[in-house]
Amino acid sequence: MAEFLGTFEQAVLLAIMRLRGDAYGRMILHVVMNSLKRTVSAGAVYTTLDRLESRGLVHSRVDEGTPARGGRPRRYYSVAAAGARALNESHKTLSEMWSGVQWPVEVKR
Amino acid sequence: MAGGGQAVNARLGSPPRPIEWLIERILVGADSQTVIGDLHEEYVEAVRPRLGRVRADIWYLRQVLSLVPRGVLRQGRMRRALLAASLFTLGSCCWLAVMEWVLRHSGYLFRSAMDVSIAAVPLATVAALLLHVSARAERWLWAGAVALIAVGAQTLIQNTHSPHFEGFVFLISVAITVEGALMLLSLGRSGEGTHRLGRGSS
Repeated sequence: MAEFLGTFEQAVLLAIMRLRGDAYGRMILHVVMNSLKRTVSAGAVYTTLDRLESRGLVHSRVDEGTPARGGRPRRYYSVAAAGARALNESHKTLSEMWSGVQWPVEVKR
Repeated sequence: MAGGGQAVNARLGSPPRPIEWLIERILVGADSQTVIGDLHEEYVEAVRPRLGRVRADIWYLRQVLSLVPRGVLRQGRMRRALLAASLFTLGSCCWLAVMEWVLRHSGYLFRSAMDVSIAAVPLATVAALLLHVSARAERWLWAGAVALIAVGAQTLIQNTHSPHFEGFVFLISVAITVEGALMLLSLGRSGEGTHRLGRGSS
């Protein structure tokens, strides 16, 4: 059965895909804010990353820290095969929902 | 002296130490350092130069507070139930204390003092669950849990046998008893060795 993805989950997964090898918390937060064009809290992104990882949609690995981080490690994320399938499914569902509807939607008065 | 100066310079431009202390308490687990590192990096490289110290500190505090629900979600079902019971009894005790002061029936001083002292236990429990207190401080929670069960059970029996049964008192006494029992269970599990109250996943 296909995974159902919310808008925010899609934004996080697409941010990871855009960032490729540089997808760690801070950069994901930046890309998500840019794509959604609104302020997003760190808590929302980390909670979503936790959920996606527990569902097997993303993988993560821990790498060494830098002085700018006070020497703390970085956790890098990558999209798992199940995550890619879920994104494709979401895109397909959305396209099917929009088929036959002209965009932008206008209401005649 | 030079080492001390370097330490001070290293902290200049870093997030405020008290808020860092808070986030280190809230985030306990394998990835806590990676999250704290991300926020530290963003603060130092982007937010502080752009917003200045005060606004950057406010930004940092907001991010830390946004991580509180994540800390709660990562706790087990029993600890989440304990947190809910603690918040309920804490709110109830505060409400009762305020009502005693407003109505001022005879003996209100004693009763409001009781309400405040009962409220101290759920307050300590919430702090223990969210901020991961030390094992030493946990010993007091054992005493608090036993006291809660005693007070809750006594109020429950008294209220049931009273000619004027009060639903709200019944609800609070049940919540207090449940909270005490959940505290004992959580503390009992944490005493098995690997987890402390507020840590772990059970």
